[in-house]
Amino acid sequence: MHIRKYDFNYGRRALMEKVAKGAFAAGVLSPLWPIVAKGDNLAKAYPDELVSIEAYTKGKIKPGDIVNADNVEAVKDLLDPIAYQQVKTMGRHINIVAPTTDITKMFNYDFLQATLRNKGKAHFDDTGNVVYEDGGPWRGGTPFPDPKDAKEALTNITLSWGRHDYSLYAIRDWDIQPSGEEAYQYDFVWAELNTTARTDGQVFQGMKDLLRLQSVWFTKPQDTAGTAFLSQWYYDQRKFPELYGYLPAFKRVRQFPTNQRFEPLVPGITFFLSDAWSSGDPMLTWGNFKTIGRQPMLGAISGNWQGSRPNWEKARHGGGKGKTFIDTYMELIPEVIVLEAEPTGYPRAPVSKKRVWIDVRNNMYVASVTYDRRGEVWKSFETGSGQFVDGAAVFKDNSGHPAWSWTYVMVHDIQSNRMSILSHVHQVTGGYTTTFNMDGDVVNKYMTSQAMQRLGSV
Amino acid sequence: MLSLRYRIARWTMSHRNVAVVVFILITLGFAAGLRNVQLQTIFSDLLPKDDPFVQVFKAHPNFGNPLTVTLMVKRKDGDIYNGETLAKVWQMTRDIDLAPGVDHDQILSIATEKARYAEATPMGIDVRPLMGDHPPSTPEEIDDFRNRVDKSPNSKTFLISTDGTATLINATFIENRLDYGTAFKYLQGMVVKNRDSHHDIYMAGQPALTGWVYEYESQMFRIFAVTLGALVIALALYMRNIVGVITPIVTSAVAAVWGFGFVGWLKSPIEPLLMIVPLLLVARSFSHCVQFTERYYEIYAHVKDRAKAAEITMGVMMAPSILGIFTDIVGIFLIAVAPIPAMERFALFCGFWAIWLIPTGVFLISLLLAALPAPKNVDRLVGRGGDHGIHKIIKMVLRAIAGVTHGKPARFTGVVIVVVAIFAVYTALQIKIGNPTEGSNLLWDDSEFNTAVRQINRHFPGVNTLEIIFEGKNIDDSSRVMHEADTVLTMQKLQSLMEDGPNAPRATLSFADYLMEGNRLFSGGNPKWLSLDPTDSGVNAGAQAIMLGSSAKAFSNVIDFEQQNGTVSLWFKDNKQGTVDEALKKAGDAVTQVRADHPQFRIRLGTGTIALQQAMNNVVERYHWVIISLLNIVILLGCSLAYRSIVAGLILLAPVNLANFILNASMHLIGIGLDINSLMVAAIGVGVGIDYGIYLLSRICEEYHRHNHDWGKTITASLTTTGKAILFTATIMFIGILPWYFLSALKFMADMGLLLVLTMLINMVLALVVLPYLVWVVKPRFVGRRDLLVGEGVDLSAFTASDLELGDAT
Repeated sequence: MHIRKYDFNYGRRALMEKVAKGAFAAGVLSPLWPIVAKGDNLAKAYPDELVSIEAYTKGKIKPGDIVNADNVEAVKDLLDPIAYQQVKTMGRHINIVAPTTDITKMFNYDFLQATLRNKGKAHFDDTGNVVYEDGGPWRGGTPFPDPKDAKEALTNITLSWGRHDYSLYAIRDWDIQPSGEEAYQYDFVWAELNTTARTDGQVFQGMKDLLRLQSVWFTKPQDTAGTAFLSQWYYDQRKFPELYGYLPAFKRVRQFPTNQRFEPLVPGITFFLSDAWSSGDPMLTWGNFKTIGRQPMLGAISGNWQGSRPNWEKARHGGGKGKTFIDTYMELIPEVIVLEAEPTGYPRAPVSKKRVWIDVRNNMYVASVTYDRRGEVWKSFETGSGQFVDGAAVFKDNSGHPAWSWTYVMVHDIQSNRMSILSHVHQVTGGYTTTFNMDGDVVNKYMTSQAMQRLGSV
Repeated sequence: MLSLRYRIARWTMSHRNVAVVVFILITLGFAAGLRNVQLQTIFSDLLPKDDPFVQVFKAHPNFGNPLTVTLMVKRKDGDIYNGETLAKVWQMTRDIDLAPGVDHDQILSIATEKARYAEATPMGIDVRPLMGDHPPSTPEEIDDFRNRVDKSPNSKTFLISTDGTATLINATFIENRLDYGTAFKYLQGMVVKNRDSHHDIYMAGQPALTGWVYEYESQMFRIFAVTLGALVIALALYMRNIVGVITPIVTSAVAAVWGFGFVGWLKSPIEPLLMIVPLLLVARSFSHCVQFTERYYEIYAHVKDRAKAAEITMGVMMAPSILGIFTDIVGIFLIAVAPIPAMERFALFCGFWAIWLIPTGVFLISLLLAALPAPKNVDRLVGRGGDHGIHKIIKMVLRAIAGVTHGKPARFTGVVIVVVAIFAVYTALQIKIGNPTEGSNLLWDDSEFNTAVRQINRHFPGVNTLEIIFEGKNIDDSSRVMHEADTVLTMQKLQSLMEDGPNAPRATLSFADYLMEGNRLFSGGNPKWLSLDPTDSGVNAGAQAIMLGSSAKAFSNVIDFEQQNGTVSLWFKDNKQGTVDEALKKAGDAVTQVRADHPQFRIRLGTGTIALQQAMNNVVERYHWVIISLLNIVILLGCSLAYRSIVAGLILLAPVNLANFILNASMHLIGIGLDINSLMVAAIGVGVGIDYGIYLLSRICEEYHRHNHDWGKTITASLTTTGKAILFTATIMFIGILPWYFLSALKFMADMGLLLVLTMLINMVLALVVLPYLVWVVKPRFVGRRDLLVGEGVDLSAFTASDLELGDAT
């Protein structure tokens, strides 16, 4: 028999008090990270109503239930404002699953090991950049596992987006009109390679002044196939990345203004470079970081990799034509940090601020929302993530352990009511398959101007 | 045996309590619908829905920039290449991004990142915004900015005027987030704030126009209050007794509640631009009540019993009242023949309101007259003991008019009428269709909006566009029609045909132009690479070049978001009818030459201001005579039935049709063409104008027996009694409607007010002169019959005008 030790509102009250007092250690009943270090059950750090959706909603919703327009009020406070509108007014439904309590399922193996290994060794230097204790580039994992403020929390994401030293994602994209019809459908590949802040603790090929190389190339439809983008990120987060585009028809590279971060890469997509990973711009080109609060939240952090389905593709539902939302599985996250930041380095930004919800256990964002300059909600960037295990189907990374990565992204411009769905699939047109293993010279294969030209000529 | 209407009147008066309860219950029922009443201008509903141009517009509402606001910053003393002006443009561009409902992806000015210049580099091409991260302020930065502009051909054509003194800031709004009133308030605030001694700021675009209309519509309620107040004062001055004032007010108010409540229950929005017509109905109800009440006074003076007098009045007035209102109803409902949704809704609203004037103007008024205290000045009002003051003057005038309609003077009158009629018909037939205005016909020529349109037209290609639509046939197909060679090459050929020869547009633009520019830049920047490779892959290459790192919204002026439909935009110097005719003819010929039907798309002519203006003209041309003819037929049938004589119908229709010709002739002489306003006014003019004739003819039928078949005395007696009411009716219409011409900032309403006043005045004069003259000339036999619907089934001698009232009328 489980004896309830605390009153119902204890957990939420404790989270609010933490923010009010400026306390930052994750966990309510006990600090979280000692539990993580011991590999213990994460639920021990929180009271019942923060780990059980049934307790939180006083029995209205439990794992196995579906949140829809009829019952969404019970979890309104657990969703970002756009997700709430989607459920309430656009026919979205969310499957509720039991909470994850095993930290190893919330990280890829190497990144968790690096996080534990390097805990307490990060600090900001005079320029505001994160450095390792020896003053050199960061050596992998989250620099601030127990972030004490918004800047640290955002740093955890920015320094290593995909948490693998190298990732190549096969992505299928659908862009949905307000009517619910598909306006565009693209297949593309997204590759990112950390040259620093790597889990192996090394600097890749001596590129210590860079943080990452990242490229995107489109493989479908035919009229867009071969179009490619290359972005070189500096380690110094005050600098804008270099951005190049490649047009196969002209065999020419176009250099973009470095601060052009609020435009789509190709027509139809609502996703801007600035949106990527809820931290798509160099961290120090944003400012006025603020911690807004700590709270429980519903997040798609497990059960969303459907490796048993053909090409890992997920079913869709809702909207005008039943195609606007991907089927999602969410669980109660006991504690997220809610932070805000402003695009202080972009004098022409159409965005006034972004709000990001970050799971304190793995320091990965759950969702983010941007606001226009009038302060009205504009776009959401909701991401599903989790371990790539679906029953018997398992997808492993280079460590030999089940991979952990993002599974889907839904970018919803609520003002013009256009949605982009990015589904992380196994393979896209052109034969590119998702991988976390560096097979050969990926830099010269995918991440140089010459590589872009080769990709475009295929 | 009493006739049906007298039996109805008797039953009603003997069951007054039941009747009152029924009225209260019905009124409460309609009042409950008032909460749903919506006053809303739906601009697209002002267009004729069956017109081919309008159908193209409805199929492609996003072409022609209906949701885009254009601000022009004009430097008064030099060009824009100075720190102050560029900083202003920068700040205004930032500020417009804060406008409620704006699409943040669709703001374009020389200060946005979307205004770019390009330079070829050894690697490829470097594309940068015209302005960096701050507005140029030093001489070096300003020079550099000027050089960048030189490398950006589209900016030079569409964002900066050729003389360099003006620049545009365009912002497009999201339709379902756009509250026109709120957005306009914000934008107009920007305009006012940024005007200074060196800069003029002009604002145009459909959202701005809508904002102005909404702004002025809010003034409409004040004008409404003023005119209603004036009507009540006129009524009080004329009647000088409580019954005479209260009765029309209560009766008209109840009809109004029924009228508004009815459309409230139907949830049919009311078009505020046409609200002058309900005011006409109020005035109509007032004047009807006055005629009814005056007759009641006459009868009350005889019978000295309120209920009996009310009963007899109801019996006497029922038929002419219903017939008069019937013609109003026909006139209003026939407006709906023109397939314009706003007119259809309005005909429903006003037509039913007019119908409600029957129960309220026949039954409710009788109940009120029977219940309210008897007026103490009845004898004076009916002229017993001699007329005084205004009543005396009116009677003298009317007696003079009567004098020229019969006897020897009638010969001269006849000649004048024939001459005027011939001149009016001839002149009216010369009238032109349409009133082209540079800007919007809804607003005055010197309004801020129309001034802005003129200024923008002067500095830029402008707003007089004709859009020729390229419509994809297989829009579900993932291949983009706008990326295909056939589409783009056809666009180019069409533009070339339009640009050749006389009557060429000032500028043309299509997606093809952007593709050529993309082609040039990515081919190294030399203008010789402007030409597109005439293959699908070549055209697609150009499309990819311009779309790379960009939203499709950036090209929403020429293609839709899905790139399946596009437009060729043609800018013309003005929208005068000659220009419109030439433009449409030339465009039609060009479309024929390039073929309208292609495997993947069809070409549709067209939309834009030029085409939509022609659509409005077409509907006026098509329906003006149709509506007048139908109105004549229906009224002829109704009146012939009521008077049991087709001659009666013809006698009644002659003055109203002549009035219509005189109105059109007057409009032609002062340079006004036929438009949608005159279409409505013609229908209402005939329907409402004929009332005067009906009341007068009915009175003539009554007086004919009283005066022993003496036509002269009959006409004089009728004119000096009913004629007085007709004069008052016309006056009250005048008071109710004319102020709109002077007070309304909306030209549309002012024009309609002026035309309505004119038509009512002309109708009044002709009813008082031409109708009695025709009766005198024709001496119709139906006047002598005693079985007319509008005649009397009882002895009228007790109620007809006494010799005392006539004075020396003969």
